[in-house]
Amino acid sequence: MKRIVVVGSGASGVHFAQTALELGAHVTMLDVGRVAPSPVLPDASFARFKREHDDPAGYFLGKRFEGVLFPGAKGEYYGFPPHKGFIFASHERFSLRAQGFDPLHSFARGGLAEAWTGGAFPFHERELTDFPISAQELHASYGVVAGRIGISGAADDLARFTPVHENLSAPLALDEHSRRLEERYARERTRLNGELRTWLGRTRAAVRAEDTAGRKGCTKLGRCLWSCPREALYTPSITLRELQHDERFTYLDGRFVTRVEADDANRVRRVHVIELASGRAEALDADCVVLAAGTLASGKLFLDSLRAHAGSAPVLRGLMDNRQVLVPFVNLAMLRRRYEPDSYQYHQLALGIERDDPRHYVHGLITTLKTALIHPIVQSVPLDLRSALWIFRNAHAALGIVNVNFHDERRDECGIELEVHGDSTRLVVRYEPSREEPERMRTALSTVRRALWQLGCVVPPGMAHVRPMGASVHYAGTLPMSAERRALTTSPVGESHDISGLYFADGSTFPFLPAKNLTFTLMANADRIARHVARS
Amino acid sequence: MADRATLERECDVFARYLAASAGDSYVKAQYVAAHEAGVVELAGTTAFQRRVVSLASSAPWSLRALDVHSRVFANGGLLRRKLVLLLAILETRAPHDVELDTPTAGSAASMFVRMAWIGVVFALLLVASTVVLAPVALLSRAGDSK
Repeated sequence: MKRIVVVGSGASGVHFAQTALELGAHVTMLDVGRVAPSPVLPDASFARFKREHDDPAGYFLGKRFEGVLFPGAKGEYYGFPPHKGFIFASHERFSLRAQGFDPLHSFARGGLAEAWTGGAFPFHERELTDFPISAQELHASYGVVAGRIGISGAADDLARFTPVHENLSAPLALDEHSRRLEERYARERTRLNGELRTWLGRTRAAVRAEDTAGRKGCTKLGRCLWSCPREALYTPSITLRELQHDERFTYLDGRFVTRVEADDANRVRRVHVIELASGRAEALDADCVVLAAGTLASGKLFLDSLRAHAGSAPVLRGLMDNRQVLVPFVNLAMLRRRYEPDSYQYHQLALGIERDDPRHYVHGLITTLKTALIHPIVQSVPLDLRSALWIFRNAHAALGIVNVNFHDERRDECGIELEVHGDSTRLVVRYEPSREEPERMRTALSTVRRALWQLGCVVPPGMAHVRPMGASVHYAGTLPMSAERRALTTSPVGESHDISGLYFADGSTFPFLPAKNLTFTLMANADRIARHVARS
Repeated sequence: MADRATLERECDVFARYLAASAGDSYVKAQYVAAHEAGVVELAGTTAFQRRVVSLASSAPWSLRALDVHSRVFANGGLLRRKLVLLLAILETRAPHDVELDTPTAGSAASMFVRMAWIGVVFALLLVASTVVLAPVALLSRAGDSK
């Protein structure tokens, strides 16, 4: 029996493992595995939570008030929930330095997708032209994963950009603000589709509307931002928990993987790890190692392995990430209405802007503002706080944000490499935006503003926020899959062309990054790779 | 850092300014705890900023004008940090969360009229507070440099 070792319990790792197990393999998963805090008052709505929790400030702002966004603080329009801090907490054994990039990584059970907003947008065939794989094969895997995790959406106008796959379930009921936007779109469709080449439709989200197969459906507690206590919004730790019931699955947490060892024929032999509780070094024999730790961590592991084997490590070029721009808007038809706290909190609508080159498609997630903390927004209004509060309370239900995503391509100036410090190494991440980016953003944001105006919304001038590279956490491209056997690439099924038996199931192998959240594609691709590995 | 009684008085005055009702004992305890955690008063806090806070706390009628002045000239200063901290605490706590976030009655059109009025008052308060505070700021700066 082939000994398969998977590194990392994120979206890619757990779906690789699930498929391999379903096909009869034995799987050992190595993970640092930081654990999420237990849900608090799991059946309480957002409003009830504030009434019944004995320390609501501690919960929402953190014991050290780290969730308070003071004036002048750098960053976003919202504070990150303190109890989700375990997701992005770094690890002393993982050293990293970045230029032009604000990298995020995770050592949590379930990985970075524990903090995702559930956007599940399949890549279109036109976006897969650089991938040496069959679009049909990937689309079959979208259906498999959708059946496992529950993807809701509709076969509407956006399907021209995000194909409909198997097991797409009915979307959640819209909140009032989103419903009004959708109704306005129906009236303005001709102009939006024609002149602005903009289409709007229901988002695709990994959230279940109904109780299904042991998972609870969304009951609109309004606590999505604070981690859904019912787990109606899918996260990979749910799958990890399910896998742990399989006797052919071994989960070894508290392990930090340091490198993969290959034999003289460049064939994987074992995995070296540090058992974190004792600090003891261990080695596990393996016939097949699957790196699913995320593009940065998997890249470092690969480089450390090459360095141990060959004495030096190359530069991995082609790092990609989606540039994101947050465009706030005010829907004039929603002014002076009460916002809906008891509703789904993430994006319910999405918009797509067509470009001459279909690979340059621009994607926007439309989120209407509900239960996010209000103080970061109120204090950003250029008025005294009392006046700002009066305006905010009357405009709250009318506020929304479009998270505009842009595609990225592999370029030599972006990449990762090792920096050696005695016995240890540090990962160095370098990123430079493309020269075309400013013009690409300018034209797309102009279209977004005009489209919002057509939908009855105003974009306050000067409020668009260009997120730093790295903020979207859609990292990819450092070891692209290639039909040709070339160094520092992988086969179409994710096997390294440098070390046989070493597979990459995360974003490392993507040769192109469309303007879409890639998590759903990571899961589908991991399912696809697992089928090849388990059958080979 | 100010003593507990001073901070509780501040909290009381600032809560009435933001939410139109005093904070309960939990809100006050959180307000004090944040100060004790060292997240409010930063290393660069000046004597002038402390005087502004002291004035705002002892003369609540001046608070809005001081807030206006701070928003323009010292957005990251002590008064704004304290007010934003308190707003953050209040929004997590019932019933203040509802007080802070319920729309007032009226039409969208009347909202724009009110916003225009808010803008006018803001401008007037900015002029008035600058006229009063500019000399105080200069004197404080001179005092600090000695």
